Amino acid sequence: MSERVYNIEEAPNIDVSGDRYIMLQIGPSHPGSGHMRIKVWLDGDIVVKVDPDIGFVHRTSEWLSERREFIKAIPIVERIMLPDTIHANLSYITTLERLLGLEAPPRAQYLRTLAAEINRITSHLYGIGIFGIFLGSSTVYMWAFGDREPFIDLMEMLTGARITYSYIIPGGVRWDMPKGFKERAEKVLEYMEKRLKDYDDIWVKNPVVQSRCVNVGVIDKTNAIRLGVVGPNLRASGVYYDTRKHDPYAAYQNVDFEVPTFKNGDAYDRLLIRVEEIKQSMKIIKQVLKDMPEGKIIDEGTYKQLNPVMKKVYDERARVMFPAFYNHMRPQPGEATGRVEAGRGEIFFYLRSDGGKYPYRFRWVTPSFRNLPFFTHVAVGYRLADLPAIYGSVDYFPPEADR
Amino acid sequence: MGIIPLIIWLIEDLLYVIIFPGLVTVMVLAIIIIYIERKIAGKVQMRFGPLWVSKRIGGALQSVADLLRFSFQSFIVPEGADRLAFILAPGLMFAFSMIPLIFVPVGPYYSLLFPAGLTVLLSVALILVTPIYAIVIGWSSDNKFSFVGSLREAFLLMSYEIPFIFSVLSMVIFYRTLNYIDAVASQYRFLPGIILNPVAAVVMLIVMIRTTGRFPFDITEADSELVMGLFTEYSALFFGVGMATPYVELYVYSLIFSLLFLGGWWPAPLYSPGPIMGLILPGLVVVVKAFIVMTILVFLRSVYPRYRLDQAVRSGWGYVMGLSALAVVISILEVIFL
Repeated sequence: MSERVYNIEEAPNIDVSGDRYIMLQIGPSHPGSGHMRIKVWLDGDIVVKVDPDIGFVHRTSEWLSERREFIKAIPIVERIMLPDTIHANLSYITTLERLLGLEAPPRAQYLRTLAAEINRITSHLYGIGIFGIFLGSSTVYMWAFGDREPFIDLMEMLTGARITYSYIIPGGVRWDMPKGFKERAEKVLEYMEKRLKDYDDIWVKNPVVQSRCVNVGVIDKTNAIRLGVVGPNLRASGVYYDTRKHDPYAAYQNVDFEVPTFKNGDAYDRLLIRVEEIKQSMKIIKQVLKDMPEGKIIDEGTYKQLNPVMKKVYDERARVMFPAFYNHMRPQPGEATGRVEAGRGEIFFYLRSDGGKYPYRFRWVTPSFRNLPFFTHVAVGYRLADLPAIYGSVDYFPPEADR
Repeated sequence: MGIIPLIIWLIEDLLYVIIFPGLVTVMVLAIIIIYIERKIAGKVQMRFGPLWVSKRIGGALQSVADLLRFSFQSFIVPEGADRLAFILAPGLMFAFSMIPLIFVPVGPYYSLLFPAGLTVLLSVALILVTPIYAIVIGWSSDNKFSFVGSLREAFLLMSYEIPFIFSVLSMVIFYRTLNYIDAVASQYRFLPGIILNPVAAVVMLIVMIRTTGRFPFDITEADSELVMGLFTEYSALFFGVGMATPYVELYVYSLIFSLLFLGGWWPAPLYSPGPIMGLILPGLVVVVKAFIVMTILVFLRSVYPRYRLDQAVRSGWGYVMGLSALAVVISILEVIFL
């Protein structure tokens, strides 16, 4: 266990000029950086300062969305967070519904919860896999990416797409649950429960993993709150905060689940919390499948405006075809905000309409971006070889931060 | 000695060096072990591993294809590099990783132009030359990542050299010889070394994992930290040679391990005349044993991630060193009381 030489509070204020420190550029084209450049100043083998240089995969999602009709922003926000698209979609639609004054029917809410939780599992598996390859375990990398497949297949069955679903629309969802979905989902959950034991054996309880992660990248409760950490990383530091509990959306007030928290806030806790959250997500999926109410998957007002052909499609195949008026949606002037707990943390959305066809202001803050200040502080005082362990445990996704 | 027997003798020696325990066998085994490593990892990781090159035999020619690809790539020397050292170092590293082979006998009648009584000493001394070229590579590449990689290699080299020597020393004390053939004969009389002194065997295995860069000690090449470690700036055949060197080292270490600990060519008769019983059969037995050891060691890739440098160095100076000292003590006690 390495001792921490530099204090976390003084981290950004250390003067790194002079010959004492070596500057190492990790990335943007480096196996351990992702689409980001990390400038690291080293005192011998000890990290003194970390400066993540982001923006290499900036996609102008806000600029693009402000120059299009409201409905056309859905595919744009999805492209930003590819492992976790349903949450981008859901956060945008939740905010847009508040602006429009729409309310989705209960069945649609449950379907949204179902999709969101399946997606949370794939997102966490993605994070665990990347963490694995950072520490050199290609096995857990392959396993995690392989075990995403059954869940992605489930989503394909539900939404018709593997990654970019565009499933949630204002007032409901686009497809109803197909026949045989429930049975297949139960099979997948059973499989995953078995697999989680294998993960325990080869990864979570592996002595090498423990010696690499325990007491590495520690961030305590106070500093975690001060630096604005969100999501699993915050809960690993012992803060009980989850938007699903504190500001429920979709059907989360109707399902029973726990929010796991840990105490130490080190890399190992950040790994454990993802495994725990996968278990909780599976619990939610089971409940949602059991309690799924009957009814429409789109709100009454929209249903009435469907033309006869669309109504026929809806009744026969339980599929919502986009009516043309979706494209000419003009919300009342005003503003709305929305919060959603995505796989990596809380997404905050702000929409402002001036009564026109396009959003007047389209602003969103993604969890990875809010975890960046944390990343600049947390690695300070540890060894260079700890950097992959810390970076992997944060589960940072560069395109998500760049937007 | 007449001229003709001398020529025959020299040709025999050349055949040893070039064909049987030597060059050709090493290359073939390296290719096979790389294939097996990838195939085992594929099996564990729910995928196929090498498949599309020669699909009928399960992708067995993948390593050959890789070798061909390396040979036809262009070789780039970075501008700031020390040209001579940069070009020479991988080749020398590869050569020096193979030279210990001529002192490692794989049969009772294997003798070359060297003092046969000192084979253990000579092979151990020569094995420890190889990592020096790793440091040369890191120095000459003019790349921060290579440089850090070579520094790591130096740290680890120093911390694991002494346990290795102690582990060999404990067996030498027990067998009371510096000659591999006598060591094997001694194991024929008693038991295999792994039963007589399991601590020394464990230390030797740890050192083998460490020195050849297998997981969990894949520290000098940690790709998420150092891109490709020492070989960040290399390309073409030089890169291929660099990648093959650890496997050659692994082969040499495994041969030594099977001679000192696994009873050498044990099921085969100790001394028996004739080219088949006296040369080929014992050789095959030793190589197969070494191959099994190699397979077990490359399997570790599928199980462990990697340790951090300071953890590995601390364990090298700490418990591995303690274990190796214990092994020496065990051997001394056994010599006194058995």
